[in-house]
Amino acid sequence: MIVIIDYGMGNLGSVLKSFKKVCDNVIISSSKDEVERAKKLVLPGVGHFSKGMKNLKDLDLLDLLYERVVINRVPILGICLGMQLFSKFSYEGKVEGLGWLDAEVVRFNVEDKLRFKVPHMGWNSIKIEKENILLDGILQSELFYFVHTYHIKCFDNKDILANTNYSYGFTSIIQKDNIYGTQFHPEKSHGKGLKIIKNFVQKI
Amino acid sequence: MENKICSKCILDSTVPEIFFDEGGVCNYCKINDEIMKEYPDGKDGDGLLSETVKKIKKHGKGKKYDCLIGISGGTDSTYTLHLMKKMGLRPLAVHFDNGWNSEIAVQNIKNATNILKIDLYTWVADWEEFKDLQVAFLKSSTPDAEVPTDYAIISVLLKVAANENIKYIIEGQASRAEGTTPLGWTYHDGLYLRTVQKKYGKLKAKSFPILSIFRLIYYFFVRRVKLVRPLEYIDYSKEMAKNLNKRELGWKDPGGHHHESIFTKFFQSFYLPTKFSIDKRKRECSAKMRSGLMNREEALKEVSTPYPVEEGIVDYVITKLGLSTKEFDEIMKAPNKSFLSYPTYFPLIQSLRWPIKIACKLNIFPHIFYLKYGVNHTKSIKNYWEEFNKNKS
Amino acid sequence: MYRPRVIPTLLLRNLGLVKSVNFKKHRYIGDPINAVKIFNDLKADELVFLDINANKENRKISLEFVKNVGAEANMPFSVGGGIKTISDIKEIINAGAEKVVINTFAFENPQFIKDAVNEFGSSTIVVSIDVKKRIFKGQQVFVLSGTKPTGKEPITYAKQMQDLGAGEIILNSIDNDGLMSGYDIELIKKVSKEVEIPVVALGGAGTLSDMSLAINEGYASAVAAGSMFVYHGPRKAVLINYPSKDELFNFLNK
Repeated sequence: MIVIIDYGMGNLGSVLKSFKKVCDNVIISSSKDEVERAKKLVLPGVGHFSKGMKNLKDLDLLDLLYERVVINRVPILGICLGMQLFSKFSYEGKVEGLGWLDAEVVRFNVEDKLRFKVPHMGWNSIKIEKENILLDGILQSELFYFVHTYHIKCFDNKDILANTNYSYGFTSIIQKDNIYGTQFHPEKSHGKGLKIIKNFVQKI
Repeated sequence: MENKICSKCILDSTVPEIFFDEGGVCNYCKINDEIMKEYPDGKDGDGLLSETVKKIKKHGKGKKYDCLIGISGGTDSTYTLHLMKKMGLRPLAVHFDNGWNSEIAVQNIKNATNILKIDLYTWVADWEEFKDLQVAFLKSSTPDAEVPTDYAIISVLLKVAANENIKYIIEGQASRAEGTTPLGWTYHDGLYLRTVQKKYGKLKAKSFPILSIFRLIYYFFVRRVKLVRPLEYIDYSKEMAKNLNKRELGWKDPGGHHHESIFTKFFQSFYLPTKFSIDKRKRECSAKMRSGLMNREEALKEVSTPYPVEEGIVDYVITKLGLSTKEFDEIMKAPNKSFLSYPTYFPLIQSLRWPIKIACKLNIFPHIFYLKYGVNHTKSIKNYWEEFNKNKS
Repeated sequence: MYRPRVIPTLLLRNLGLVKSVNFKKHRYIGDPINAVKIFNDLKADELVFLDINANKENRKISLEFVKNVGAEANMPFSVGGGIKTISDIKEIINAGAEKVVINTFAFENPQFIKDAVNEFGSSTIVVSIDVKKRIFKGQQVFVLSGTKPTGKEPITYAKQMQDLGAGEIILNSIDNDGLMSGYDIELIKKVSKEVEIPVVALGGAGTLSDMSLAINEGYASAVAAGSMFVYHGPRKAVLINYPSKDELFNFLNK
């Protein structure tokens, strides 16, 4: 069973819809019991970093998630804000994150403010930095849908699965052991986004 | 019910009004023979077609368009567009949008009209009205759920022709490739449409025309609008047309016959076979057999497998039509009826057999009109569905 | 490589799609769900649906409609039409929309934009600004589907919305609407230079060249269009269309 964690940050309908296309046994839940029983986890999310952390704390999920993900090595896919929460710290609210990745979250600091507006909103490609089954069948020319004002900055290069360029290069996909994350929204990225979801469901 | 198959084609007892001669040849093969006589192909066909094209050009001199072509994005109408342009005509392409256009159909129409530099006119039906009418026909429990589209298309073509002062309407019908549709499988007229709409529908159709028989008579007799079917005169095959369409007109194949409409796809692959045991592939295969493009073995093989139903299409159609699963189940389970269960112009047409025959001879109506509607099939069709419903339960 | 978004913007009147010229003469285009299906197949970047009568009729865009689009659409989509409360936005996002578009109410109650951003984040809140030229008065912002003048000048108003936290601005030229003879490049450039958030150009697009101009000379972050994606040919035949991947690549890449 795959559990898409509902911690009150954004619409999960499209995420569920996409996962259901490749898997029957997937649910949305905020219950500790179901999160514990999950064979795989998804942490989506759109919105403010500090609100995201607060909501997870209020649902009493922090310890459970640490146990399941870091200790039991349950595969988890973070999407957009979800991925950012894996980091140690975010400047959005100046708050600590889950701390699973040696990384921090910073605001886009672009030079050419006329050509590169913030939030980074739209379709952009990825530059794959290392091989991984999550990206099986994905070419570098594929475009994915991004919408974010802050981006993750990894201190350990080994965690970087792909980078994307928007005025400068930033990390768009992370992978550390069983922890995966995409800054873009695979559930809104047509066929190629679905392929990534399929890979996470069927190959990892 | 024992299934009897025609000895010349593969139309069989699932055609309610079918009957066979001593040689086992069905009445639709006979109709087809008549049509072939009327529309010779080869050199004679070429000659007749050129004559007709000359007439169209002459009549259209000085006007912006000399003819009107109905297009759907499918094989036949796209090919017809190309053929008429090649023969030097200046057509206005007309498309009736009933809300079911597939993306392939839309692209095909766009590409063909762009490449051939032909102006396109679309008549868009109000979706709520059209949906209401389609649901009404599903509730009528007859195999005629495509009547709204079929009848609206003719009505729209005639209306636009009159508005634009165009005399010639080019149709993409190809009896050699398609065959005539048996009456017991599809019947349509304006009164039938209005009857079903009143009985099962909630809205009135204001955004698309439903021509009354008087309007039809006006268009054909007074405005002298002529229907021309160029594909009947040439050595036409769907494969040949598809290849040319793909090569020269940026065309993609929507799949089965008329599958450029999502509703038609659902209708032919699921609705007709499941509820009425009607498989329209038998009609196309029979036509191919009569032209020598397919042999009996191949035809029987093709219809021996169930009509492939695209995944998700039934759910999509039910949702789009605003029907609940329960309502749809009731429709599927309801005893089958035919157009004979409702007031239509059929009795009137039957009683006017002889005047119609004359009108056909004078080329005012297409001859096939007489051949199809001139025979009295009332009893056989009624008996067939009574028997069918009894067996089903 | 980043490619600016190309966004079909569809107007809803009752349950059907319509298209206007200068915000008037609305012509029926067809069933919106069928349009979504076709745009799905054509791999459109994003969709925007605006219910043009919602405010007039004192209601918001239909949730049933948003759910139906959400069930069908494979790409992100935004909706607008009479949105006035936080719970309106919540319901719409839960029904499947990515972002909400606020027009009239942003003018009537600017604080609402701030509240909405705090609740949902900037990237969920889009403010749409309709601009018309008034004789002797220059360009001005209009609300209520272009019927009510606000007395506000577009650049100042856009800046105000940015300061309140809006994530994106849809800048619409009423004068160019439906004419398919090009965007108001000057207007787009003026506003884009003043704000740091993305500006979506709308109103007047007829060709991909128009769009290219809006991006390269107008500094628009994304381009939107209505007529261009629903009409075809000199007779303005209704035919849903969208540029191919190659066409987009050739015209719009930075």
